[in-house]
Amino acid sequence: MISPPQALIAEVTHRCPMHCVYCSNPLIMQSRENEMPTGAWEKIISDAAALGCWHLHLTGGEPLSRNDLPALVQAGRAAGLYVNLITSGLGLSRERLEQMVEAGLDHVQLSFQDSIEESANLFGGTRAHAQKLKVAAMIREHRVAFTINIVVHRGNLDRLESMIALAEELKADKLEIANVQYYGWAVRNRANLLPTRAQLDKSLPIVAQARERLAGRIRIDFVLPDYYAKYPKPCMGGWGRGVMLVDPAGRVMPCHAASVIPGLTFENAREKPLRWIWEESPSFQRFRGSDWMPEPCRSCDRKEIDFGGCRCQAFLLASNAEATDPTCSKAPLRQRLEQIVTEANSPLADVPPSGAWVYRIDPPVLSS
Amino acid sequence: MEPQLTQRPALKRGCRLSTIEPLLLIPEGALRLQGPGRRILELCDGERSLADVIDELQAEYASAEPSKMSGEVVAFLKALAERGAIEFL
Ligand code: SF4
Ligand code: SF4
Repeated sequence: MISPPQALIAEVTHRCPMHCVYCSNPLIMQSRENEMPTGAWEKIISDAAALGCWHLHLTGGEPLSRNDLPALVQAGRAAGLYVNLITSGLGLSRERLEQMVEAGLDHVQLSFQDSIEESANLFGGTRAHAQKLKVAAMIREHRVAFTINIVVHRGNLDRLESMIALAEELKADKLEIANVQYYGWAVRNRANLLPTRAQLDKSLPIVAQARERLAGRIRIDFVLPDYYAKYPKPCMGGWGRGVMLVDPAGRVMPCHAASVIPGLTFENAREKPLRWIWEESPSFQRFRGSDWMPEPCRSCDRKEIDFGGCRCQAFLLASNAEATDPTCSKAPLRQRLEQIVTEANSPLADVPPSGAWVYRIDPPVLSS
Repeated sequence: MEPQLTQRPALKRGCRLSTIEPLLLIPEGALRLQGPGRRILELCDGERSLADVIDELQAEYASAEPSKMSGEVVAFLKALAERGAIEFL
């Protein structure tokens, strides 16, 4: 028996007014013309609930680039789901927020790029920081849970303390400090983004102290960069184990990045039943369980803990989606990772980065 | 910390009971509620005191032994408070 997904990640659009240098969206994005209409999303949301999902995460791109968000929130609540909006805050007016709260929004996750305006705007490629501060105050006027998310990297990790202070000031319920994960646009900017070991070592006690000081007020999640780990992360809790992502055009995938893996065909929720896609489709079956695993994973006692790591990362670092994730210290290709890490820690590498950035662009508009 | 009987337990912002299943939905996932779990949480409305909640449950579950029940209710709510799902006002 295949257990049901717990969360539906609805990537409702790839359009976004921000241009973050670490955006995890795929390099090849869905254009507006390919985006599904409201009705198709409503059906997917109710089918996902019937399949067993508890949570609906509305994300993108910037989900507010669509104007039907209140209807999608409502569809989630009508299906019994917990509804979370993941947003940059751009495009969130007082009125739209009220509409969504009335429709039953449970949780808002607002991203910041840094604690100080100048560099926040640099990493986001947009003058957005001041607007986000206003949006945070607006969110706090409502009875919804409020998480602040800040992606950290070489260029801002040294400001961890002021980021924590920002979350306090804005009265967040939770602060998620996530080190960049190297997918999508972040791979392009990796040399500028990967922190040094010294930066990382400094950050750990800061987080530990803040957790203690803010216990009962603000929960703090800290996602470590897996390039510095001994073992890989159990990516998405394992392929096809807990999470189902639907892209703007309706393609159903086990994670954000899976479209990079060559040779996999992702089914479309408008063409095939969601239950069949989850339980039986070849793309979801491809890396389920442990039969596909090579050594050393196959005979490793951690294979039910990290599931051999991330398939997309294996492809990106080892050019083979079936390989043991090179972030594992036992991986035959760990050497490739160590080389990247060594370069990042070389005395010649600049901290903070002074190199040029590759900014995330918006999906192209298809002419008809 | 031991909650006082005069304090009023309430679900925290961002936590709510599912309208469909015996589940407590929280930002990170969901907790499956067994036995009287759902009923206990329905009573934690931020208006009733902990003492009121226990009194009402004792009236509803007349066959349960009172001292045992109140201990279990407090332990249940404390565990949820530790997970950030409940607060004592
Ligand atoms: S550009 Fe930034 S805000 Fe927009 S989707 Fe990417 S990471 Fe999110
Ligand atoms: S060998 Fe494979 S299963 Fe074992 S820790 Fe490394 S990635 Fe995980």
